[in-house]
Amino acid sequence: MLQFIIRRTVGAFVTLFLIGAATFFLFVAAPSDYASLACGKDCSPQRLADIREALGLNLPLAQQFWHFMSGIVTGRDFPAGHCSAPCLGVSFYSGDMVWSTIMDRFPLTLTLTAGGAVVFLLIGVGAGMLAAYRRGTLVDKVATGGSMVLSSFQIYFLGPVVLTILVYSTGWMEDPRYVPITQDPVGWFVGMSIPVCVMATIFTAQYTRMARSSMIEQLAEDHVRTARAKGMSRRYVFLRYAWRGSLIPIVTVLGIDVSSMLGGAVVTELTFSLQGIGRLAVDGAVNKDLPLTMGVMLFGAFFILLINILTDITYAWIDPRIRLS
Amino acid sequence: MTTVTKAEGAPAPTGPDGFLSVRDLQVTFSTEDGPVKAVDGLSFDLHRGRTLGIVGESGSGKSVTNLTILGLHDPLFTTIDGEIVLDGKELITATEKEMEKLRGNRVAMIFQDPLTALSPFYTIGRQIAEPYMKHTGASKKAAWERAVDMLAKVGIPNPKERARDYPHQFSGGMRQRAMIAMALVCDPDLLIADEPTTALDVTVQAQILDLLKDLQREFGTAIVFITHDLGVIADMADDIMVMYAGRAVERGTVTEVLRSPQHPYTWGLLNSMPRLDSDLGTPLAPIPGTPPSLLTPPPGCRFHPRCTFRDRVGGNRCATERPPLGPDRSSACHLSAEQKQTIFVEEIRPRLG
Amino acid sequence: MMSHRARGARAVVIAIAAGSLALTACSKNEGGKSGKDSKKDQKQAAVQSKAVTYVDAAGSTGPAKEVPGAKPGGTITVYQEPGLSHLDPGQIYVSDSGQVANLLFRRLTQFQEDDKGNVSVVGDLATDSGKSSDGGKTWTYTLKDGVKDENGNPITSADIRHSVERLYAKFIFDGPTYLQTWLSGADYRKALPGGGFDGKHLPASVLDTPDDKTVVFHFDQPRPDLPQTLAMAGYAVVPAKGDTKEKYEKKPVATGPYKIAENKVGKTLKLVKNTNWDPKTDSVRHQYVDGFTFQFGVTESTQTKRLIADEGDNKNAIQLTGSVDATQIQDVINDPDASKRTVKGYQPYVMTLTFNLDRVKDKKVREAVTYAVNSKSLIAGEGGAYGGDVAPNYFAPTLPGYEPSYDPYGRLKTPQGNIAKAKEILGGVPAAQKKLVFAYPNSEQGQRRKVAIEDALTKVGIDVVAKEVDAASYYEQIGKLKNPYDIYITGWGQDWPSPGTVVTPIYDGSQVFDGSANYSHVKDPKVDALIKKALTQEPAEAASTWKEAQHYLLENVIPAAPLWYTKQFQLSGSNVGGARYGSVSSLIDITRLYLKS
Repeated sequence: MLQFIIRRTVGAFVTLFLIGAATFFLFVAAPSDYASLACGKDCSPQRLADIREALGLNLPLAQQFWHFMSGIVTGRDFPAGHCSAPCLGVSFYSGDMVWSTIMDRFPLTLTLTAGGAVVFLLIGVGAGMLAAYRRGTLVDKVATGGSMVLSSFQIYFLGPVVLTILVYSTGWMEDPRYVPITQDPVGWFVGMSIPVCVMATIFTAQYTRMARSSMIEQLAEDHVRTARAKGMSRRYVFLRYAWRGSLIPIVTVLGIDVSSMLGGAVVTELTFSLQGIGRLAVDGAVNKDLPLTMGVMLFGAFFILLINILTDITYAWIDPRIRLS
Repeated sequence: MTTVTKAEGAPAPTGPDGFLSVRDLQVTFSTEDGPVKAVDGLSFDLHRGRTLGIVGESGSGKSVTNLTILGLHDPLFTTIDGEIVLDGKELITATEKEMEKLRGNRVAMIFQDPLTALSPFYTIGRQIAEPYMKHTGASKKAAWERAVDMLAKVGIPNPKERARDYPHQFSGGMRQRAMIAMALVCDPDLLIADEPTTALDVTVQAQILDLLKDLQREFGTAIVFITHDLGVIADMADDIMVMYAGRAVERGTVTEVLRSPQHPYTWGLLNSMPRLDSDLGTPLAPIPGTPPSLLTPPPGCRFHPRCTFRDRVGGNRCATERPPLGPDRSSACHLSAEQKQTIFVEEIRPRLG
Repeated sequence: MMSHRARGARAVVIAIAAGSLALTACSKNEGGKSGKDSKKDQKQAAVQSKAVTYVDAAGSTGPAKEVPGAKPGGTITVYQEPGLSHLDPGQIYVSDSGQVANLLFRRLTQFQEDDKGNVSVVGDLATDSGKSSDGGKTWTYTLKDGVKDENGNPITSADIRHSVERLYAKFIFDGPTYLQTWLSGADYRKALPGGGFDGKHLPASVLDTPDDKTVVFHFDQPRPDLPQTLAMAGYAVVPAKGDTKEKYEKKPVATGPYKIAENKVGKTLKLVKNTNWDPKTDSVRHQYVDGFTFQFGVTESTQTKRLIADEGDNKNAIQLTGSVDATQIQDVINDPDASKRTVKGYQPYVMTLTFNLDRVKDKKVREAVTYAVNSKSLIAGEGGAYGGDVAPNYFAPTLPGYEPSYDPYGRLKTPQGNIAKAKEILGGVPAAQKKLVFAYPNSEQGQRRKVAIEDALTKVGIDVVAKEVDAASYYEQIGKLKNPYDIYITGWGQDWPSPGTVVTPIYDGSQVFDGSANYSHVKDPKVDALIKKALTQEPAEAASTWKEAQHYLLENVIPAAPLWYTKQFQLSGSNVGGARYGSVSSLIDITRLYLKS
């Protein structure tokens, strides 16, 4: 197991490097760079050259790339100050350290992700399991029908509708906003409750359907029947035998969802005017802000790889066949 | 508990009911295409210490029957009629709680594929100990020791260590031994073995069958042995019931049925079985046609569309009238007893060699 | 030119956010009401377009005239979508940072507007708008007494010299370059590579500080616009003592009524009162509210929804440079409560269909296209009467010298285009000349414009080949001298109220180079001569020269077909008092706001 984790971690670093290289060279292959964008409409060649030099865009590409990648490990010095490792450079647009910008936005993204995951795992998986347990009953029909309807909604539709109802027309709630939990736990909870719930609602529907079908599939497994034939109660079999097997597809999808959400929930953030990692990614791309884009990409990729490894470890915990082979 | 050693050719015990008694069992599944009558009017008895072999093709209703005895059918899609009486207790109307107390305790089951039938998530020891704890109220530790004992009993070497292994760490034969240990951990009165050797190598198969026979001798368990393999049944069973399309078509002692089968379907089964002592040139004679769809079963005798002897029966009886099956040695066929005898002796036996 | 960059970035983000921006606005409903509004806007613009007056010391002393009903206290919330790119004054050119700079930084001069919208230039750090001598080649400024920065250090002439000299350093690259170029030529950086940080300074023959209170600029030709130039945020003071160079962006030293308490770029910016700002030295700015909280990343659509709803904190909110979301214009107009809270007026931008003169050489084609274009359908796509107005010529209503009735192509009478006339002119033109390659940005807005242009030109028999261009780098693509396009829509607005900041950058022959704003590549000796002449004239005198230049361009050269003037339409919360349209910023006047309760 340890060897497996080490092997995967090394692989992840290689992948990160490749993702960084791909992002960098795709980005600089684009027809325009930040300097010409910043130079604007009345752009003399001299002014353009000044901007390029100020941003370090005049250096050879390989050197720019090397500076960026090595800076992550060793840190870098910029005119605006020292950027300690892990240094993701300085944003062209804002002049801020990309790492500190990401760290500033990350709590919101983490809140969205963790809050959303708690809601849709508890409610979604719970409802799906209950529906499977009470298959064919009213509970099942409500859960299946409800999740069918909800999963056809999209955040950019449900979000504004909920906002209009709860905020703009009735004034029952304030506009969504992010307050650090360390500063004001109640404000944090209230401020993020609409975005978290709206996002979780859509995921809940997916997880309900997935948990239900996965559970039903598991209940038809031979070993589940064996457990029943041993005289174990339906509940016991459900919670001990079937549940465990049904976790595998849920963990797989959860891993994908969570890692992509940690990389930024662009639509949710835009819908609720929140400032998370997703927004940074959009800003980076729109403003041709190379360091910011690189930083956000690598940050997101890091989570995808990390959660990939965690998912595999979870598989091993769930299934001894993986653990012991 | 009476212990009866199997006697070659011993007559089937008569009487209205045995230890397990099934009467006019009807099992209907509702499917998207309509109701499917998987078992249609099945009756049989089983006495303590004896083994009933149930033979038939896939889909003949033999596995369904046994899942129904344990109450493991899906209640959402299944309707059941008739009665199942185990040691005087009616099971169809029993509550789920009562059934739970029965399962794994008085009635145990061994499934066909030990790889899928054992949970991959828990150790062998735990899976064996679990029903023991539940049914005897034993402590975790006592149950574990019992599991290790059982593993030793079914011939697992080094049982103390192996109890901590997971099923995937066992070989196929060992898994089936573990499965048997699990089934017998509470000394059941009735053991239902659903094709327990089909998934195994031939050499392992023989070991498992010997094990079952030894254990039956030791515990006096009644066994329902389901298989489509007539060779296995000859080795294992006291009595035989042949099933076709949800109905029993022939029954009798193992000798009776195998030595002088009376039903055209049984003849077909025997005919299609390869024999070591037959000439290499003799072709196998599979039963013509395919098993009927249970959505729209053929009227009358369900076997009649495939039966080569139906024109020897007068009129159109085979297609209109269901042939009855008696409680003892009998076969559900409209051919007269003489016809059956003559056809078997003159036309079938020579081909069997 | 102002604000184009922020607009570009914002357009893309909105397109992503909203998915579709169906601009159905006011095709039916605009009727009489908006027509009346339009007239009112024009009246306001007429005031706006008067030549700016330069004010003496008496008019430059504080405190500023009280805003009627104003009360102190409270915090105003400011909504904005894109983050501010700069807070170092030397880097500030665009209007979002410019608005914030009005609260934070003082310059030698500043613009002052009266209740009627008349704009004048007053002394800000200086006692007056400046004294010129030597025929306008030398300008002398005397600093007011008692002006301090947020740390309590008095502002001296050395600070002014430093603020100018640091503009020569390489890390300043995004701000205006007028002053540097006027003082040291186009290659100004070579005159002072160290930007004054290394102890080397500009010679006294260029920039002189004879004593602590006096600053003298020497130019090689008359610079009558200097007082307006110095009023730009880009020329605000950076006290020598607190200059942290590249790091200054993060925490600049305030001299205005507010200072920065917290700055998270692209997320939040919190301003609090600067207690070292003395109202007695400032004739324009107020310090009614305790502070401003800027929230970035709020889309125009959300800004509008929040401000229409006017709930809770939104009552105290304003928009920075964003305007009412085009799809919600009707919601605002039809809501009597919301429509009371709007601020509207002309922006300084004139949108034109520009000809690439290197490729469209036949004047007849340019003339015909100028007749054919459909301003009406283009404006409908910009949000209708609240988004724009028909432009009959090149001068915006905000520009001194604006002539509302100068309409050589009958645009006001036939805003949908004069098809017959265009066809008539095209009569003898060979088919090969009638094929025009049209470049448009691949945004929602660009798509709508493309349809309108294609429709109009196809009607008169022109073969339009539409080519899509990446929206973010649109101006860069068409700014290339050897670009492969014949026609493209461009917009330009004044840097200060003088035609010199319009005609010079876009029609001067010396401006034909890669990346320049002279998108038509016009290089006409007569135009160049008129520009040269006007630049050295006093504003009133220059007006007639600029007029001659415009008439000659529009009638004889036709480098572009005027299409529409852009308009501003902003909303503020019901508790915000003192909201009015600022002619110079073309946005809500942020220096005079207060909260009613």
